Amino acid sequence: MEILLAILLGGFFGFALYYVGSTSSFNLRSMLSLRYLSLMKIILFAIGFSSALVSIFALIGLFDISHLSVKSTNLGVIVGGLIFGLGFGFAGKCPGTCVADSSSGGLKKSIAIILGGLVGAFIFTLSYGSFKELGLFDIMDIGKMTLFNISREFPSVFNIGFSGLLSMGIVIMIIAYILPMNVKQRG
Amino acid sequence: MNNKWLIKGVVLGLAFFLAVLLVKPIGVSTQFVILDGIIYNAIDSDVITEDENSSTGYTSTNAYYAKSDGKYAKAIENPLNYSFVFVLAIPLGAYLASKLKSKKVIEDEVEKDINSNDLEVLKGSGESFIKKYGPSFVSGVLLLFGARMAGGCTSGHMMSGIMQSSVSGFVFTIAVFATAVPAAIILPKMIFKKGAKA
Repeated sequence: MEILLAILLGGFFGFALYYVGSTSSFNLRSMLSLRYLSLMKIILFAIGFSSALVSIFALIGLFDISHLSVKSTNLGVIVGGLIFGLGFGFAGKCPGTCVADSSSGGLKKSIAIILGGLVGAFIFTLSYGSFKELGLFDIMDIGKMTLFNISREFPSVFNIGFSGLLSMGIVIMIIAYILPMNVKQRG
Repeated sequence: MNNKWLIKGVVLGLAFFLAVLLVKPIGVSTQFVILDGIIYNAIDSDVITEDENSSTGYTSTNAYYAKSDGKYAKAIENPLNYSFVFVLAIPLGAYLASKLKSKKVIEDEVEKDINSNDLEVLKGSGESFIKKYGPSFVSGVLLLFGARMAGGCTSGHMMSGIMQSSVSGFVFTIAVFATAVPAAIILPKMIFKKGAKA
């Protein structure tokens, strides 16, 4: 049953990634170089929309809170994010979109990214012990913190539950709507 | 006013919502670790071992695979698990979508809006094998090394994370954009302009 869900949900996710145009490195670089923000509007709206749906389903009791899974915040998130960003901006692909692309458009380049990714992940696997000893994951460690109190498992910044998350989702959707489609370059 | 983006946002949002409603939040980058581990374990079968003292029943000589009570070690020994199959299914769905050719539609929209000099830089090109695939390979190394250090990628941290109002998702996003925006603007210009002259 779980494997069937994995195929259906993974398939739908891949469908969505391609359908919204995120598998095109051209589109992603257009977004990251802040020229054309169509993809940013789409991604922001998707985040806000899923946030709102989770909140509504939770508020009416149709959401299993144990499905939530929050990641730890620590210095590794910042340093890792900065390194990730270099690859993201340069390739115009992220781990998910290069897997989605590997069946369609820029096949060869995506395979090169996936092979690089396997090497990068392996280098990290071998160096994890040293990073841990250095204390990379202990510095600025605030644990699995969320803004809103959506589960007893995670500490939260505000003592508001899913109504807070719902408000955040709505705000993000509004920002997505207002954001301009393309940023005209002057001069 | 073109509202095509709105429908796309709804579809992408539904993918994230349905995953967390039925199973758990979407994540991709961990599965690169699992695939590495499957290959590693096939070459050296001592890497992953059974361990009665661990709650998952597995541990590893490698500290990363052994972390969280051998969570990764277990997935490497049992690759037919939800998260791994989920990522394997991504290309299947993408292939279906490619029949709709929506990507082309977006690219046409962009091409109308930005001038042709910018286009050359954005598309990128190179003639030799290294020039063509070298940058992609190096980007891939940076992407997954960074993602694993951060504990997630665009899917797990940025989208699934912010969706749950996870602080790590916001922190990751700010860090990513701090380097991704300059990289997207500067790096291709440097490399591809040189390539164009030669």
